[in-house]
Amino acid sequence: MIPHFFFLGCSGKSTVKQWICLLITAAIMTSAASARDARTVMAELMQAERAEQAGLIEELSTYGDTIIADIYEAWRTGGIYLLEQDTGSQLLQFTDAQEWALVHNGAVITLSEAEAAAAKKQRPARALRKQMKRIIDTLGLKADNTALRIDSAIKLGRSQKAEFIPALEARLKVETDKQVLSALQEALAISRLANGEDAQVVEAVQTLKALNSVAARAFLEELMQAEGDNEHADNSLSDACAEALISIERHMKQQEFFGSFFRGFSTGSVLLIVSFGLAITFGLMGVINMAHGEFVAIGGYVTFLVQNFFIQTWGLSSSAFGWYFIVALPVSFIVAAVIGLIMEVSIIRFLYRRPLESLLCTWGISMVMQQGFRLIFGAANVQVNNPTWLMGNLSFAGFQMSYTRLLIILIALVVVALTWLLLRQTNLGLHIRAVMQNRHMASSLGVPVARVNRMTFALGCGLAALGGAVLSQIGNVGPSMGQAYIVDSFMVVVTGSVGNLLGAGLSAMGIGLVDQLLQPSLGPVMGKITVFVVIILFLQWRPGGLFPTLSRSLDD
Amino acid sequence: MSTHHTPLYRDTPLILSVSGVTKAFDGFKAIDDLNFYLEEGELRTIIGPNGAGKSTFMDIITGRTRPDVGSVTMHEKDGRDYNLAKLREFEINRRGIGRKFQTPSIYKSHTVYDNLILSLNKKRGVFATLFYRESREDRERIMEVLKTVRLDTRANDLAGMLSHGQKQWLEIGMLLAQDPRLLLIDEPAAGMSDEETERTGELLMSLENKHSLIVIEHDMEFIRQIARKVTVLHQGHVLKEGSFESVKADPEVIQVYLGRQGKRAENN
Amino acid sequence: MKFSTEMKKEMGILCLVTGLLMLIPLFNAVGPESGPLSVSAFQVSLWGKYLTYAVLAMSLNLLWGYTGLLCLCQSLFFALGGYAMGMYLMLMIGERGAYKSVLPDFMVFLGYQKLPLHWEPFYNFAFTVGAVLWVPGLLAFVFGFLAFRSRIKGVYFSILTQALTYAACLMFFRNDFTFGGNNGFTDFKDILGCNINSDATIRGLFIATTALMVCTYLITSGLLASKLGKVQQAIRDSENRVLFSGYSTTSFKLMIFVLSAMIAGAAGALYVPQVGGINPSAMEAAKSLEVVVWVAVGGRGTKWGPVIGAILVNFIKSYTTHAFPDYWLIIMGGMFVCVVLFMPDGIVGVYKQAKSYFARQRSLETTAA
Repeated sequence: MIPHFFFLGCSGKSTVKQWICLLITAAIMTSAASARDARTVMAELMQAERAEQAGLIEELSTYGDTIIADIYEAWRTGGIYLLEQDTGSQLLQFTDAQEWALVHNGAVITLSEAEAAAAKKQRPARALRKQMKRIIDTLGLKADNTALRIDSAIKLGRSQKAEFIPALEARLKVETDKQVLSALQEALAISRLANGEDAQVVEAVQTLKALNSVAARAFLEELMQAEGDNEHADNSLSDACAEALISIERHMKQQEFFGSFFRGFSTGSVLLIVSFGLAITFGLMGVINMAHGEFVAIGGYVTFLVQNFFIQTWGLSSSAFGWYFIVALPVSFIVAAVIGLIMEVSIIRFLYRRPLESLLCTWGISMVMQQGFRLIFGAANVQVNNPTWLMGNLSFAGFQMSYTRLLIILIALVVVALTWLLLRQTNLGLHIRAVMQNRHMASSLGVPVARVNRMTFALGCGLAALGGAVLSQIGNVGPSMGQAYIVDSFMVVVTGSVGNLLGAGLSAMGIGLVDQLLQPSLGPVMGKITVFVVIILFLQWRPGGLFPTLSRSLDD
Repeated sequence: MSTHHTPLYRDTPLILSVSGVTKAFDGFKAIDDLNFYLEEGELRTIIGPNGAGKSTFMDIITGRTRPDVGSVTMHEKDGRDYNLAKLREFEINRRGIGRKFQTPSIYKSHTVYDNLILSLNKKRGVFATLFYRESREDRERIMEVLKTVRLDTRANDLAGMLSHGQKQWLEIGMLLAQDPRLLLIDEPAAGMSDEETERTGELLMSLENKHSLIVIEHDMEFIRQIARKVTVLHQGHVLKEGSFESVKADPEVIQVYLGRQGKRAENN
Repeated sequence: MKFSTEMKKEMGILCLVTGLLMLIPLFNAVGPESGPLSVSAFQVSLWGKYLTYAVLAMSLNLLWGYTGLLCLCQSLFFALGGYAMGMYLMLMIGERGAYKSVLPDFMVFLGYQKLPLHWEPFYNFAFTVGAVLWVPGLLAFVFGFLAFRSRIKGVYFSILTQALTYAACLMFFRNDFTFGGNNGFTDFKDILGCNINSDATIRGLFIATTALMVCTYLITSGLLASKLGKVQQAIRDSENRVLFSGYSTTSFKLMIFVLSAMIAGAAGALYVPQVGGINPSAMEAAKSLEVVVWVAVGGRGTKWGPVIGAILVNFIKSYTTHAFPDYWLIIMGGMFVCVVLFMPDGIVGVYKQAKSYFARQRSLETTAA
């Protein structure tokens, strides 16, 4: 008999599903390792005498392990067997004809046919079933993960069953996490709407109002309805409900607006990183890089590859995995910059100051690259996982801001700062600005124009890839991921005046914000179209964009 | 060499009044409270150091730039006035103001002849041009202009093939073909040989009295040749106005020109 | 009217090309059933499709080749013309659709009770033909007016037209835009009472397309010979000079833009019945760029270049998408890069260069001898 784990059999293909399975199983294993865990207690409970069972159930109720629900479910439906052997008896959970899991530690063993036939089905007694059910329903309240605790509390509250109130109250006393505390309060208040005394109900309504509980809306409405139908009751309760509802609604509107605003800000940030690259190649060099979107995709794919490398080297559950995104940022920048450099040397340098030709040529390159991605990575999107430290939200004054989007805004700020420093404080930046203003003059003054061009183009491509790496955290990574952003980026560059980074920054933020603020009311398509119309009208008013360049020559 | 062919101040009606014009770019005042008056048939030369606002001044007259404050008025012979600040470039051109740019701007993939056809003072609407048929007068007019600018032998060559000086002349020819009341000419002698420069000077002087002209120039020799009344621009406003000799002798003008050179010498 | 020898030669070539093209329906009608001279109905409609592409390329050439406006919404105009014709064709299906309703199938599917008002006039063929021209024309007029008025030109014009195409494409992908969402229109039955799949109709459509191409050619040459054509090319060389010569360049560009949009619309209208359907992917931004490729490959600013380019590129496309489906985009992209880098004047340009090269060689030989 060779004990082995479920998941070893599926190590051949590293599909993400299997990695996730690995993650979960590993988590179970870690908690299984601690002394006297839920499994052990469950196993004891199954074999214990009536008298001992009460104590064991009491012990079990202090655990928050989800495995209890699994095993209990198996026990209840006849999936647990007792195998009595000479060496001692074992409790087994049936998985399939060959593989059985040991209840007390989850290890998988294989039984011979004779052994399988000898195993006896176990069933809990009725009273035990009832007690266990209560433990399982409130199991989530004791989970290690705060998000699970919050979910569970809200779920219990919404059921409005009186039997859960003690469990909620008990947890409220020991809970330390602020978010969970407010969820517990919310759950209790919702429960009490249906179960409490009159005074308690009014208090509950007040609590819900103070908590701006979105979950409570339906219950408050129901209560208001009931009070309205009840002719003998005074209006104070239904008034309180109405007041609470208005307050909650207002809060929701605020939150929605803030959410759009925040999303707009982060969308604008991605747009800003992408269009900075474009503004540099397009504005400063007079080259329209239609393949810019494909450099965005390169960023996404490099992030994907870095992620896979981390998984293969250290594994998905290792703490090292969380760092992959940080590593992917510079790597994607460098990879794209090198590819951009090669492209500049082989093709682009023949197209300076021939914007229309550069547009056509780079479009050809973009087609080749897109098809290249399809051939290498497949036509479907590839999966890039968020590192765990980027999951979750930052709560600020009742508003939720996802860490991912916060990080994106931060990266955009860093990119702006670095680009500014590069252009204003370094020699290369001085050269770039000189070439941008007067190519011939710069060249005759000894500026190495060819080198500056190469570096500038590489920089632009690198920034695009940086945008792609960032995008991989909030969007899909696929062969045409850049296409969705390229049109927007061009609009940003045109609106913000070509070659003007400040203009590009402002218009990226503006377009991102307007887009996201319009989306809730108009939908994504009409929102985009409205933005487009606004830009056309804006250009009627300011044909040169936000910060037009002045020129003395006639044909510019 | 005599510079005073005609008296400086004549009692003829005005063709152009520019009064109190200011134009700022990002806070920098390229034109600052400029007042300028031009008489019918006058040849005026404008000089001034770099950045004095000479080109911007022409941009404002031709509608390429709109003034922030002030008025630009063109006086018709019949007494009507037009506010040029309200018109678009092509409308100003149709009122009879032609402009030659600093760098020659011609249609390089058209023949010299076609360049002039496009410049003739004909109806220039979309349908008028679609149904335009070349008449004998038009042809004669073009040949006459070609002779004036000495390009008659190159009528069927592509304009892009001409030398730099010839391109300058072609552009002047394009202005003449249009028969404008007022010609604005920006650095006509730039890139020309001495002989070409002198011939350009003669050409401009022959236009005097038939047309009004404003010429911007840097070449002092050329200015001496053509100058009647000279306006000195400095920091966007008129510093001095008068004959070439009097302007040249003016200490303020010397200060503006030499002062900069003096400063530059110190810096070096 | 008197013709110069140049013009006579041009007209001769035009007649020759038209005559050769007419052989295709002729052989289909009276030619043998098999053998090298047999032409199937499929081939007639395939060549008909190529010719609509050729007209589309000519319309872009009018803008890009002769006026210097690189327009990236040509496929949008083409698709708008196609959609207008498609609406007529959808209504002509009548009650023969899958749901046996007067309404087009997709409307029944989406739960429409009656025909939307703007669909009503499309029962009338004459109105449809008008719409094929004025719908793209009007869009071009409005957009062109705004763009040209605010002096949007060069690359900015290209980018904004691309964005326009993108926006329109998004609209047409929506089901509630009443144009069939992403499935568009298909399963046509009749056009002007004739079965759309019969050989005679297919030949008729081919001849109509050839006629449209000849018309477009004549319009282009007529424009180029007039003073308006000279203004047009002058705008390409130095727009500001034209402006300072007293021409309202906005009106000129607008007129050409609208004309070009109408021609593209007409081409689209003939494309739809020959291909048997249209959907929003016909107006994707990439399609517009494809048109640019045809013109660039053939030779922009030349009269036959766009026709040659459109037919050649699509011919290669048909072959490679069949033979190497994965590599078509790479081949096309590579071809594009090469054309821009090494053949800036396209195939026609190469022909001219070669001709002058051989002429020089010959003159050298004669002098040597």
